Amino acid sequence: MNKVIIAFSVAFLIVGCAGQGQQVAEIEQREIFEQTPTEAERETAQAKANKQAQIAREQEELRRQLEEQQRRQDAVDQQASDFDEPVIRPLSDDSFGDTQAQDDPWLQLNEPGSLLAERSIYYDFDRYDIKEEYVPIIEAHADFLLTHPELKIKVEGNCDDRGSREYNLALGQRRAESVKRAMTLLGVEEDRIETVSFGAERPVAFGQDEASWAQNRRSDIVYVDQPG
Amino acid sequence: MQSSNLLKTWILVLMLLSGALPAQAQLTIDVIGGGASQIPITVLPFGNEQRYEQKVSEIVSADLRRSGLFRLGAVGSRRPFPTQVKDVDYEYWRSERAQNLVIGDVMPRAEGKVEVRFRMFDVASESQSLGFSFLVDSRQLRATAHKIADLIYEKLTGDIGVFSTKICYVVKRGETFELQIADADGYNPQVVHRYDEPIISPQWSPDGTRVAYVSFEQRKAIIYVLNVFDGSREILAAYAGSNSAPAWSPDGKRLAVTLTKDGVSQLYLINADGSGARRLTYSQSIDTEPNFSPDGRYLLFTSDRAGSPQIYRMRVDGSDDPRRMTFEGGYNVTPRYSADGESFVFIHRNQGRFNVAIQDIASRQVQILTSGRLDQSPTFAPNGKMILYASEIKGRGILAAVSSDGRVKQRITAQDGDIREPAWGPLLNNRRKESPE
Repeated sequence: MNKVIIAFSVAFLIVGCAGQGQQVAEIEQREIFEQTPTEAERETAQAKANKQAQIAREQEELRRQLEEQQRRQDAVDQQASDFDEPVIRPLSDDSFGDTQAQDDPWLQLNEPGSLLAERSIYYDFDRYDIKEEYVPIIEAHADFLLTHPELKIKVEGNCDDRGSREYNLALGQRRAESVKRAMTLLGVEEDRIETVSFGAERPVAFGQDEASWAQNRRSDIVYVDQPG
Repeated sequence: MQSSNLLKTWILVLMLLSGALPAQAQLTIDVIGGGASQIPITVLPFGNEQRYEQKVSEIVSADLRRSGLFRLGAVGSRRPFPTQVKDVDYEYWRSERAQNLVIGDVMPRAEGKVEVRFRMFDVASESQSLGFSFLVDSRQLRATAHKIADLIYEKLTGDIGVFSTKICYVVKRGETFELQIADADGYNPQVVHRYDEPIISPQWSPDGTRVAYVSFEQRKAIIYVLNVFDGSREILAAYAGSNSAPAWSPDGKRLAVTLTKDGVSQLYLINADGSGARRLTYSQSIDTEPNFSPDGRYLLFTSDRAGSPQIYRMRVDGSDDPRRMTFEGGYNVTPRYSADGESFVFIHRNQGRFNVAIQDIASRQVQILTSGRLDQSPTFAPNGKMILYASEIKGRGILAAVSSDGRVKQRITAQDGDIREPAWGPLLNNRRKESPE
């Protein structure tokens, strides 16, 4: 029979007893898995090989697309020079044929219906490879950056809200990086492209359906210092 | 901006310490299900407790009931309730089928203090099984009641009680994100940081004095460490790209984090003051969500190196190649070691749903514990018996808890706002199982 009453005053502050360290359970960690190192190595090597093959494929695809684009452009240029059409532009009241409007990169960027006005690349769930349909957008922005060496961009990666927030943050980073890599392959200097990820934290669509999720799985190209 | 923000945090914490923060929406906890065999216990009203706002016996009863492991017995028809040893009529309580009987009283003492005394009796053997006295400030009655519940829980289940611990979580109201700390029963929620950009991944330091978390307030992910005593805040990691997924080492001296400064998300080890970042993984894939084993020698983490996100384990000293731990399904993320290091919980994609699962490390046996549509961020109670996680009802974020055997389920809701990203705090002092002698 315990008749002993242990009296002690208890100072419950918000997070008590700061001076005392956390008890660290000494637990013997056991090696359990039968998986042999060779298996693991094989798996890792295979994964690496797959990744590298994938990167190579992506690069090849981008190069092909770029060449195709160049051929098309060359053909257009050829046609234009054949006919030597007059260039007719409206003049505003206070400027006499000033070419500023055409040279203003911000106006070009926001020209409705142009590829440059498109700033988002969309992905499948848990994927960060760039689908073929978005390659022209990336090429257009890469070209634009090459002709305007003073401009810089930020690529913001986003995910739908399913799964882990932290994994999605990493996946968003990966998506942004995939855009950056495509652009650097097209010749844009690396230090002009900053990548960030918002993971699943900045959705643009809030439904719990594939249509909403698809809109949230994207990379946005944001021009730094764009006025307005 | 940085300094005004710091000032805001300061003011909040000062208010917190002085107990002057305006009342926040209380969290409500509903219990669903119960343990296999519930332990019968009868907690009688404590003598004199009605004079105080916080009714000790009611808080003790609520704690025990919420654990799902106890069956609270009727308090009988005899008045007044016994508060002294000599008043306990064992024969009567046997007739009421009481097995464990708790009595107590709350007495005013000098200098505004109160003495809380309680005893627990084993009715069958007519003996006292537990007895303690606490001399406390009257504002600490709720904390004292949690302490009593811990002692009863430990005596009757053999496990450490966690009723005195704290939880940390994020509440989203409109475009505002609040980092809050509350008692484990959801009472006393306090806002410790507030900003109109997302906050994710709060993690308690092992001594409970600091919380590391990720904030997007600089329009990118940066890791901060907040001192919950004085509200001071420091940047832990703000390298180029994302800085995220902080995980404290068991000794609190270092953190494993995910950085993208060298390209893709990789694991790094960093001192608690932000110095000495050292790269831990070298893969071409996503490596993130590190979590230390209780002995500090291993890290579990999420990686998509095999094509889909899976959980891997590596030695912190990097002496071995990471080893894959999960093989069921194509999406296994957010690993968290149990307190004994013998199992881990994680999020498993299960036929389009994302659920909390637990895997035994030795046998690789996996048990899916929850059934929500989108369960996230599991965090173990420090005794390893419950897992707190983020879930949702009708598109609104809630916290829920499930026992590690899947039997007991709790649902925790805030009166307004989305509640998410829970982190269960450590045991507050270096406690072992306590006994009266």
